[in-house]
Amino acid sequence: MATEMVPHTALTLVDQLPAFQILASFLAAPLIVVLGSRRLAWPIAFIASAMSLIVALMLLSQVMDGTVISYRMGGWAPPLGIEYRVDAANAFVLVLVSAISTLILPYARTSFGKEIPLRHHTAFYAAYLLCFSGLLGVTITGDAFNVFVFLEVSSLSTYVLIAMGAERDKRALTAAYDYLIMGTIGATFFVIGIGFLYMATGTLNMADIADRIVEQGGNRTIRAGFAFIVVGIGLKVAMYPLHRWLPNAYTYAPSAVTAFVAATSTKVAVYVLLRFIFSVFQPNFLFEFNTLEYIILPFALIAMFAASFVAIFQSDFKMMLAFSSIAQIGYILLGIAFLTETGVTAAVVHLFNHGITKAALFMAVGAYVFSANGSYYDTIQGLGRRMPLTSAAVVLAGFSLIGVPGTAGFVSKWVLVQAALEKGWWPVALLIVASSLLAVIYVWRVIEVLYLRATPQGCQVREAPASMLVPMWIAVLACIYFGLNTDLTIGAAETAARGLMSGSAGMR
Amino acid sequence: MANRPDDNPDKFPALGRALMWVERPGGVEKIVYSLYVVCAGLFAADFLYHKHSYLAIEDFPGFYALYGFFMCAALVVCAKAMRLFLKRPEDFYAPKDVESEPFPEDQLERVDYDA
Amino acid sequence: MLETLPTAFLYLLAAPLLALLPRGALRAALLLVVPVLAALQVWSLPLGNLVQVEFFGLTLDLMRVDKLSRIFALIFCIAAFLGNLYAWHVKDVVQQAAALLYAGAAIGAVFAGDLVTLFFYWEGTAISSVFLIWARRTEGAFHTGMRYLIVQIGSGVILLAGVIVMYAETGSIAFERMELGSLATWLIFIAFGMKCAFPLLHNWLQDAYPAATVTGTVILSAFTTKLAVYSLARGFAGTEILIYIGAIMTLFPIFYAVIENDLRRVLAYSLNNQLGFMVVGIGIGTELALNGTAAHAFAHILYKALLFMSVGAVLFRTGTAKGSELGGLYKTMPLTMIFCVIGAASISAFPLFSGFVTKSLILSAAAKEHYYIIWGILLFASAGVFHHSGIKIPYFAFFAHDSGKRPKEAPWNMLLAMGLASFLCIAVGVYPAPLYALLPFEVDYDSYTTTHVITQLQLLFFSALAFTVLMRTGIYPPELKSVNLDTDWTYRRLLPRLIGWIAGPVGAMFWGLDNAKGAWLQGLIVRLYHAYGPQGRTSQFWPTGAMVLWIAVLLGVALMVSYVS
Repeated sequence: MATEMVPHTALTLVDQLPAFQILASFLAAPLIVVLGSRRLAWPIAFIASAMSLIVALMLLSQVMDGTVISYRMGGWAPPLGIEYRVDAANAFVLVLVSAISTLILPYARTSFGKEIPLRHHTAFYAAYLLCFSGLLGVTITGDAFNVFVFLEVSSLSTYVLIAMGAERDKRALTAAYDYLIMGTIGATFFVIGIGFLYMATGTLNMADIADRIVEQGGNRTIRAGFAFIVVGIGLKVAMYPLHRWLPNAYTYAPSAVTAFVAATSTKVAVYVLLRFIFSVFQPNFLFEFNTLEYIILPFALIAMFAASFVAIFQSDFKMMLAFSSIAQIGYILLGIAFLTETGVTAAVVHLFNHGITKAALFMAVGAYVFSANGSYYDTIQGLGRRMPLTSAAVVLAGFSLIGVPGTAGFVSKWVLVQAALEKGWWPVALLIVASSLLAVIYVWRVIEVLYLRATPQGCQVREAPASMLVPMWIAVLACIYFGLNTDLTIGAAETAARGLMSGSAGMR
Repeated sequence: MANRPDDNPDKFPALGRALMWVERPGGVEKIVYSLYVVCAGLFAADFLYHKHSYLAIEDFPGFYALYGFFMCAALVVCAKAMRLFLKRPEDFYAPKDVESEPFPEDQLERVDYDA
Repeated sequence: MLETLPTAFLYLLAAPLLALLPRGALRAALLLVVPVLAALQVWSLPLGNLVQVEFFGLTLDLMRVDKLSRIFALIFCIAAFLGNLYAWHVKDVVQQAAALLYAGAAIGAVFAGDLVTLFFYWEGTAISSVFLIWARRTEGAFHTGMRYLIVQIGSGVILLAGVIVMYAETGSIAFERMELGSLATWLIFIAFGMKCAFPLLHNWLQDAYPAATVTGTVILSAFTTKLAVYSLARGFAGTEILIYIGAIMTLFPIFYAVIENDLRRVLAYSLNNQLGFMVVGIGIGTELALNGTAAHAFAHILYKALLFMSVGAVLFRTGTAKGSELGGLYKTMPLTMIFCVIGAASISAFPLFSGFVTKSLILSAAAKEHYYIIWGILLFASAGVFHHSGIKIPYFAFFAHDSGKRPKEAPWNMLLAMGLASFLCIAVGVYPAPLYALLPFEVDYDSYTTTHVITQLQLLFFSALAFTVLMRTGIYPPELKSVNLDTDWTYRRLLPRLIGWIAGPVGAMFWGLDNAKGAWLQGLIVRLYHAYGPQGRTSQFWPTGAMVLWIAVLLGVALMVSYVS
């Protein structure tokens, strides 16, 4: 029981790390607004983000062996006080989120120069940091209601960030509006679900809820809570068919925002889903088993194919990637739906690998938007020679998206196929491979557009500036590095999966 | 094997000029007759040395010669018969086929000997 | 330091360097330096398993150097050098990088000590080599390349399936001698067979090689099929079925070669026929036979490259490689003609040329092991190969009726590459001892016996006599502008039609008569497009209400499921 835990006295700086994780960016955001300086905005944001990354790495190194850090906000003991709780699963996500953010900020500085009016820059970085800290908060907190609060913080700022794409394309406004409506409904469902849980258990601390649920088993209130939470978070995850907000939001948002949001926000939502399905509710409950097998599994499979087909027929690179994201989320949900340790490992690894792959690709799209003023296939055709570095990045990251051996994408699909075979689900394994073939088609279309079509007459497009290329290539090289060296990713994911699969015991 | 009217054999490579005797009247006959002679000689050689053979059939005089001649003749006749069934116009698989399209000029370097 | 770096990596690492170098001599020089360095490295390596890495809990053996893999790696290095020299004038970085990656992958595969590594490089050769075809940049080449890629990738996928099944059954991924019998070994066998152009699986070769660029065909001719020969020799030596497969392989292509018009395709058929000899050698599996296979592969790569080079030079200067449009070129391209004749003499196994000292090993092995019928077939195939490669190629390209074409002699780099290849062909033929020393087993064989020389000359000269007689009597089939049906007809014509015939009515039944017209596949794509395209139900802009409706539906379903259970 959480209340029986040895009182925790947070004294040293290292003990305070979980708080720093959030505070750095959470405090930097108002600071930017208060200072109101356009010159200082970016450095502050970058420093905050970099500090978060360092903290996240330190936290991950502490929990890699399977320990759990419990931190009491303000010294108030749970379940009354808010508890921050770090284990391998969320430390891994923290690293992903803060690494991507730190990588994207230098890129964003250049790309926003062209996409967002100057007067919005300070506000933008403030919103960005809020979104960032919201995502970190969702990940790190051990309090169910706190999850909702941070989720709203990140969502509201995301709406703003997406709407900023209106400078380039007015459709960003409707996209942001749609996302707002959908996101709010999702959040409402989520909070209703938490309400049900509170009703049934009388506590909001996740570890506590888990213990009570184990005691009383799955009664109707808890089942209702489960359904609401799965659907609410499923919407944030962009689980098929609740995915409709995603393509437009990704397509019309400014490039750097897309890269950041695509690589992190759905991934954080997946983490929340994992946390609730496995740690709060118990994986051995039949109703949970059925929901996963009869709802999440089929929809994951449908997503893998339907979204891939849509991606094939797109004529906009950015939109294509957005739909491919939905398909890839299908893989992650599929891993979860297996309800086995290997399956969850696959989900966690794919969450990470897909994050960096999509970050690289969306950054490349941003480079095309920056240099060629658009991402339509007609606009970028034949640019393979004019923008060789960006295009090479697209090819390599595209390979990772397909899952070519030697890239990160292969590793996660490999584990996923293993998980399917472990369960003896041959057809599912075949479907995974088959949908990878669809990925070959949509990636090939882009490669064909870039390399095999003629460059339009009088094309003046130049390679993107180094400030965009360097982060992009770091992400690309990461795709390859994590395709060859799997110790970090698979190791962390296995620890995370073990913790998650042990249900409420994993919360200890 | 006639020369082109605008040919200027003096500009041909020396080696090429040296070989042009085959085109003169009787040139081909010379080659053919010397082939006959060589063949006759090789056939005769079979009787002049001790053959090391693995198989009995090899000891048959002129086995290799006859085998080579008749099998090759058979090969050509069979192949010619196969044409009846297999031959199709060059653009059979057109348009998505390399047979029916010209070789891209930019990858070639067509130069005449006197250029 | 060189010992710890797998040879393949030399090639793979050099390929990106190409992009950094300026177009021209520097880049072309790199293409020559890499094979030389690699050959020196292979030469100096000790035998043994030199580099091992851990991968997903498997131990991969990247450098298994023994006598069998070493000779193949060496000849691959030589082939890469000659091919790149021949392609010195090429400015296209795609082809240059593809050539390096392709050679690197082939060498990596040869040194692979386990099946997983083999698979990676196996697919590597497939993917890198297709660019040599696509580099022609025509629609026909694109489609041919696609067909080639499908077959090659298919072979890799089957190999992978075999490896996985084998790993599941035995827990081992070692690439050692296998016994046909289980599903795993059959799958691997078929994968090897596809790349080796077994009968009925062969047509990708004749389809694709003539479709590549002038220089691409030369490079293609060296690696893929010989990699397959190596793999068979490693994995299935002494498997009897290979003898019969090989015998058929030597046989049927010669018929096609006689009536084929495109000289590069004639060479592709004769390549197939030569592979048959090697496959027979593997099937016999005695030391003499395997030596014969390795030696013949070595000599074969050289003279086949030489022949493709000479025909390529003609194509380069005249724009065509079709027998019906060539002739009389000896006047202005005499050196090319001589090199071509040397290649022709080598493939026909004339005494003093390389084929003579290598092919006889296989024939002797067949006779020694009492495969008389096989021996007879091989003898026939030897005569046949002389007929179509030895006589037909030089005759129709350089002599025959005068086409009126007066192209200039090939450029210096092509001549140099052909000259070097010719030199090697003759050197091996005249003094085979160094080659014999490289072979996997001790060689106790002398090809220059009186019997052998005279009988071989009889065979060849009487074949020539047959050609002359048939030519002068007008029986010999003339070169015609035509294509000949081969198994590719099944997938280029039959399959699409069958799909059209079967799927049309079936599709009509299911989807209504409107969709029946038009090919089924196109119909499918159109339907997919309607469903998933930008205007389709799945991707078009949904009104917010529709999205909310879905949420409600899903919530209802979720509630139901969790309540019911």
